[in-house]
Amino acid sequence: MGFDVALRGLHFGYGSGPDVLRGVSLDVAAGQVAALLGANGVGKTTLTRLIAGLLRPRAGRISVGDWDVATKRPDEMARRVGYAFQHADQQLFARTVRDDVAFGPRSLGLGEAGVAGVLEELGLSAAAGTHPYDLPAPVRKLVTLAGVLAMDPGVLVLDEPTAGFDLAMRDLVVAAIARRAARGTSVLVVSHDLAFVAEVAGRVVVLRDGLIVADESARRLLSHTATLRAMGLRPPPAAAVGLALNLAGEPVRVAEVVERLRGVRWTPAP
Amino acid sequence: MSVIRLERAVFRYAGRPEPALTVERLDVARGELVAVTGPIGSGCSTLLLVASGYAPSITGGTLEGERRIEARRPALVFATPWTQLTGIAHTVLAEVAFGPASDGLPREQVLAAAHAALERLGAHHLASRDPALLSGGELQRVVVAAALAQQPDLLVLDDPAAELDPEAADRLYDLLGDLAREGRTVLVATPDVARAAHVATRALVLERGRIVADGVPASVLSETDVARIARAAGCPGPLPLDVAALVARVAEAG
Amino acid sequence: MIGYVAGRSWLHRAHPYTPLALAAAVLLLSFAFHTPVPVWLMVAAALIMALATGTIREVLGPALLLATPTWLVLLVLHGLLGEPPKAPFGPFLLSEPGVARALVLGGRIGAIVIAFLAALATVSPARLVDGMTARGIPFGPIFLLVSTLTFLPRTRERAARILEAQQARGLRIGGSPLARFRALVPLVLPLVLGALAEVDEQVLALETRGATSGVRRTPLDPPADPAGQRVLRLGLVVVVVVAWAARLTNRI
Repeated sequence: MGFDVALRGLHFGYGSGPDVLRGVSLDVAAGQVAALLGANGVGKTTLTRLIAGLLRPRAGRISVGDWDVATKRPDEMARRVGYAFQHADQQLFARTVRDDVAFGPRSLGLGEAGVAGVLEELGLSAAAGTHPYDLPAPVRKLVTLAGVLAMDPGVLVLDEPTAGFDLAMRDLVVAAIARRAARGTSVLVVSHDLAFVAEVAGRVVVLRDGLIVADESARRLLSHTATLRAMGLRPPPAAAVGLALNLAGEPVRVAEVVERLRGVRWTPAP
Repeated sequence: MSVIRLERAVFRYAGRPEPALTVERLDVARGELVAVTGPIGSGCSTLLLVASGYAPSITGGTLEGERRIEARRPALVFATPWTQLTGIAHTVLAEVAFGPASDGLPREQVLAAAHAALERLGAHHLASRDPALLSGGELQRVVVAAALAQQPDLLVLDDPAAELDPEAADRLYDLLGDLAREGRTVLVATPDVARAAHVATRALVLERGRIVADGVPASVLSETDVARIARAAGCPGPLPLDVAALVARVAEAG
Repeated sequence: MIGYVAGRSWLHRAHPYTPLALAAAVLLLSFAFHTPVPVWLMVAAALIMALATGTIREVLGPALLLATPTWLVLLVLHGLLGEPPKAPFGPFLLSEPGVARALVLGGRIGAIVIAFLAALATVSPARLVDGMTARGIPFGPIFLLVSTLTFLPRTRERAARILEAQQARGLRIGGSPLARFRALVPLVLPLVLGALAEVDEQVLALETRGATSGVRRTPLDPPADPAGQRVLRLGLVVVVVVAWAARLTNRI
């Protein structure tokens, strides 16, 4: 169902400028969810666009399954890679949410059978007949994510998928990603919403100065205050609770921390 | 003394019969930093527009009931900075100076206000850059600086940190706290309840266009990750909203 | 490339009204004259303007692109189908008065296009804004003008992002004419809808920043307007008035 994504020695720069990516190599296996972290402007979005075939590297190779991305057009890559842009509004055009979500599957000749299910999954069924521009901006972003999921790609590349979302919407995205990863989809997420990253990613990769400088389990990295601070980040709330209370096992997910707190005999607040 | 007063206010957008906002009574005093929270679509943005006087005058629609706003030209900041550019400024400084320049103030005063605002946002290094070429995060700081340069009595912000990385977001909310302490009135709507709770003096919770809770953040808010952890672990209300509060509750539990 | 091209020529550094006045003068004068020679002198003047500002390369291409189809149509309409006397020109029989007419009309278009492109290339929107603000022109007209000037680059940028987004959803660019036509919808609609939605927000933002305050806005960096340039612009007005007076009294 999913595809292994392999990046080898990627070099990329804009125009005639210096290399932004200076030899990036990375593997994301089918069924894995990896989060890409790094300071602002380091090249995370650039890397995701290279994988989707929207940019061509100066050197190096990207493969998605048995496809060499350099040999494919972006619309061909859409068959395997579902790319969710950071700013959603550049895609919306249909008269209803349902029509817009159906656009991707229709373009790929996949039929619209899966659209209703995806709308349901992301809590958009009630809004299915609404004009996207009549919805608040975060909901429009959810609509474009639905459009990507409806194409049922073997690889998901998501750029800040939860920006502007409330907790309920974030939960929906976490569940949708988990479901697909379980089916073998490979997922690469760029996000500085570490609470989201903790819930969804098993692995965290850090980009700095054009290179991958860390590639570790989410558990270890999201509890590592010093590394996170170097990127202007902090441990996510669950991990922060774990660190503050010295909980065993470096819990980074809400459920893990709740489990560790089971024995607490709470007293009412003062 | 109220800076904003709403009484029996009902607002409807043009062409829609159902009210987008129904407020029995809302009084906001000078120097308050009010966090406006609720599920996306619950009317938080609408409340900001009505409370700042720009709905229905600019947005269209109808407003029934009473509204009084004691603030000269409230400053408004939304989540999408690129739609808030004037379109005629080719440097960040000119963009930020637009508000004071619109008041016809002397040139030195206009520039001073613009420089000061950029400094406060830590964006002074962007002064000669073209706004059209900035990143989302840089732009958002510029837009907040532009609002600040107007020296507003009332500052209304809708998810102002949406484009910012966590560190910059923290600094922005800290700045809002400073502004409130300086005597300005600040309303901020955001799904980032944890950050808002950290600096707000008061919180409103909206549901389907109505205010369902109004009070001190600690007693009224519950949509933060830490609060969820506490609730799921069986902690009784009011729930701790941040790590420090949770640690304290655990310590009390022994 | 239609738009501002940075440079250090005298016209670049002049008050923004000056290049615009020159272009307007070329336009008005080319309509005052109605025989080929003086009209094509206006074309030469426009070319000199472009050369003097160092923007000839950026201007000539688009100018020819815009003017050539019209020139061809004019030549056919007036040259081939015009009145006698006719003279042979290669395999064609061209009408003499018709060719003269085509040269006049074509020359006007050429002069106007080149002069205005050259003016657009030398007037930076920023300085134009400052110049207009310093003259007390309210925000509304300034905004309209600058939006028009910057419309193409902004739209191109937006269109590129939309193209990318739709390709990432499987939209194939190319193929049969029908396929290409249908591909326009998901490209053009987000452009229009996005622009409209943004206008709503922008109007609100501008209102909150005092754009419609009615108070005379403070210019931040008013461009210098030395007496020499004001005299030049006045002189252009005089020349245009004299030319038109002569034209209307049939002296030219």
